[in-house]
Amino acid sequence: MTARSIQDANRAPTTGRAVSPSVWSQLWSRNAGGYLFLLPWFLGFFGLTLGPMISSLYLSFTNFDLLTAPDWVGPANYVRIFTADPKFSTSMRVTLFFVVFSVPLKLAFALGVALLLNRGMKGLPLYRAVFYLPSLLGASVAIAVLWRQLFAGDGVVNDALAIFGIKGPAWISNPNYSLWTLVVLSVWQFGSPMIIFLAGLRQIPVDMYEAASLDGASKWRQFWKITLPLLTPVVFFNFIIQTIEAFKSFTPAFIISGGTGNPINSTLFYTLYLYQEAFSFFRMGYASALAWILLAIVGFFTAFSFLTSKYWVHYDD
Amino acid sequence: MSISIDRRQFLMGSTALLAAAAAGVGPAMSQETRMRLIFWGGQARADRTYGVTDLYTKANPGTTFDGEFLAFADYWPKLATQTAGGNSPDVIQMDYRYIVEYAKRNAIAPLDEFIGNGLNLDDFDKDQLDGGKVDGKLYGISLGANSTAIMVNTTAFEEAGLELPTRDLSYADLPAMAEKWNSSSKRAGMKLWSDYSGGEPGLENWLRQQGKALYTADGLAGFTAEDITNWFQLWADLRAADVIVSPDDQALDATDAIENTMITLGKAPITYANSNQLIAFQAVNKDKLTMTNYPRIKAGSGGGHYRKPSMFFSLGASSKQQAEGAKFIDFFISNPDAATILGVERGIPCKASTRDAIKPSLDEQSLVALNFVSNLGDLLGALPPSPPSNAGEVGVALKTKSQEVAFGQQSPQDAGPAFFAQATEILARAKS
Repeated sequence: MTARSIQDANRAPTTGRAVSPSVWSQLWSRNAGGYLFLLPWFLGFFGLTLGPMISSLYLSFTNFDLLTAPDWVGPANYVRIFTADPKFSTSMRVTLFFVVFSVPLKLAFALGVALLLNRGMKGLPLYRAVFYLPSLLGASVAIAVLWRQLFAGDGVVNDALAIFGIKGPAWISNPNYSLWTLVVLSVWQFGSPMIIFLAGLRQIPVDMYEAASLDGASKWRQFWKITLPLLTPVVFFNFIIQTIEAFKSFTPAFIISGGTGNPINSTLFYTLYLYQEAFSFFRMGYASALAWILLAIVGFFTAFSFLTSKYWVHYDD
Repeated sequence: MSISIDRRQFLMGSTALLAAAAAGVGPAMSQETRMRLIFWGGQARADRTYGVTDLYTKANPGTTFDGEFLAFADYWPKLATQTAGGNSPDVIQMDYRYIVEYAKRNAIAPLDEFIGNGLNLDDFDKDQLDGGKVDGKLYGISLGANSTAIMVNTTAFEEAGLELPTRDLSYADLPAMAEKWNSSSKRAGMKLWSDYSGGEPGLENWLRQQGKALYTADGLAGFTAEDITNWFQLWADLRAADVIVSPDDQALDATDAIENTMITLGKAPITYANSNQLIAFQAVNKDKLTMTNYPRIKAGSGGGHYRKPSMFFSLGASSKQQAEGAKFIDFFISNPDAATILGVERGIPCKASTRDAIKPSLDEQSLVALNFVSNLGDLLGALPPSPPSNAGEVGVALKTKSQEVAFGQQSPQDAGPAFFAQATEILARAKS
C-alpha cells in the first residue's frame, strides 16, 4: 500500500498544473550543464559558507567551549555584549577610528596616484604594477612584521627622523601612536582602489576636457566639475569595498600587537577581540555573537551608504 | 597496450579491498601501530622529541609516530578543535593550566591502571606526580620540573663592573644597584631591570612571599585591592628611581615571546622567564646568560617559587592505543638514551635515575638549570592549585592595567581597586 500511496502523492499535484513539470524539466535539460559547472561553487557556498554561518548563528545563543556540547543560553551573550562588556565598546571605538581615518585617506591617496598615472606617462604598466604591489603583499604576515621593524623605537622611521634631529617615540608600542601606524599601513596598501580609479578615469571622454579647456576652465575646475562627478560611481564602489575591508581588518593588528591588542587595548580591533574570545578563551558562543553583531554593523553601514548614494553618485552618462 | 578498467571491475576491486580492510587481513600494515603525538614548542624541542620517537620505533618495530608541533598560542585552539571533533591524538602534551579542564571533561584518560603496568613511577618526584592529579586520579605525567627565574646577561653586568644578582637580592636593593648601573653601564639606553608589573608570575611570586596566593583553591582571587595597589606602587617607585625600562620599550614585549623580551632586545640585562627557557634564550642572545631567582620582597622572605610541572604527557580519552601510549611515556621519562637526547629542555627530569643518567652529558647551562631547580632551598614553597579556567583572561587584564599605570593614565591607587574589580568579575564569570 505504501508504494502506491507515494506514487499517488507524487502524481497528485501534477494533475493540477500539468504545465509545470515539463517547464521544469525543460529548464533543467537546458541548464543542467551550467549548474554542473557551478557545482564546485555551490559545494563551497553551502558547505563552507552558508553551513558554518548557520551553525555560528546557533552557537551565538549558546555557551560553547569546544570541549563540551553547546549549552543553550538564549540571548544572554548579546545581553552581556551590550550591557556589561567594556571590551566590546573599547574594540568598537578602535575599529571605528580605524575605519573613519583609514578609508578616506586611502581613497584620497589612491585617487591622487591614479590621476598622476593617468597622464599617459611612459612605462605606465611598470608604475601600475609597482604601486599595486603593496596591496598584493598587504594582508600578508611578512608586511606586518616589516611594519613592526620600521616603526619600533629604534626602527628605520626613527633613524630617518633622527637625521632631522627629531627623536621619535616607539610608534608601535606607544598607545598614543600605535593605531596610527596601522592607519598608515592601510593607506600604503592603496593599490587595488587605485587600479579601479585608473580604469574609471579612462572611461571619462576626452572631449569633455577639450571642451572645458576651450571655455577656459582651469585644471582644478575641470577636476571638480568633470572628473570627480563622472568618477562618483567608482568612488562609491571603492568606498563600500574599502569600508567593509577596514571593518574586517585583522592581520596587521594581530601581528603588530602579538594578538593582544595592546598597548592599553589601543589596537584592539573588533576582529581581534573576537579572535581572543574564540581562540584564547575558548568562548565560541560569545565570539559567534560578536561576529553576528559585526555583520549587522557592516550591513548597516553598507545600506546607509547605498541610501545616501543617490544624493552624490551620478550615473547619468 | 593501455590499461582500461570498466566500472564494474573497478567497483568489484574496490569492494574487495574494503572487505579485506574491514576483516583486518589487508596489506602488510596490519601489524603496525601508528601513534599520533602532539606538542607545543619550537624546532629545538621538535628535534629532540622526534629523536626519541625514532629511538622508540627502533626498540619497538611496528610502532610509528605522526608528530605535530605548534607554538603555544596556536596549540590550544588546535587541540580543542581536534578534541571537539572526537579526533584527539593518542599522546598529548598538556599544561598545568589546562589539565583540570581537560580531565573534568573526560578529554584525557586517567593513567592509574598503567602504573606498575607499563608505567614505572618508582623514583618519580612526589610533588611532580601530585601535580598531574585531578580529583585524586593521575591524568598527566610531568616531563620536567620547572621554576620561574630571571635571565641575566652576565656580559653586560661584567662590562659595568657590577656583581651579578644573587639569590638574596631584594626589590629594595634595586634602586642602589641601578644608580651604579646607570653611571657605569657601557650599553647606551640599557636600563638595569625589565618592567614586570604586568607579569602574572611576578605578581604571584610577590604574593606568595607574603604568604598569600594569586588564586585560592576554589578559583577566587587570593589577593586584595590593596595588594594590587602596593604591587603597582612598587613598580611605579622603581620607574621613578630610573631602575626599569620605559613603558614604550616594555610594550614591545607583548606576548613574552623570547625574541621580544627586554634582554634579547638589549633594553635591559634582566628578563623574567622560566628556568627551562635558559637554553632557548641563550640561542638568540650573543652575550652569555645565566639565571637566578626572582627578587625577594625583603631579606629572608622565601616561598615565592615552586617546582611547577613544566608540561605533561597525557593520553587522549578516545585513543584506542592507551596501553601503547603509556609504554611510550614510560620510555620518554625513563630510557637513559631518550633522556640524553631530551636533556633538560622540558625541565628537570622527575625520576632520580633519569637525572643521574643525563648529568654527565649536560652542558654548562643545562647544569645551571638543573642546579637551580634542585637547590631552591628556602625560596621553594608548595605547588599552588591549578589556576581557574578564566585565569588567562585575568593575566591579559593585568598586563593592560599595568600599561595604564606605566603610561601614566591611572595612578597605582586607582589601578589597584580597578583591577581587583575586573579580576573578581572575570573569575565570577567562570563559575556561572
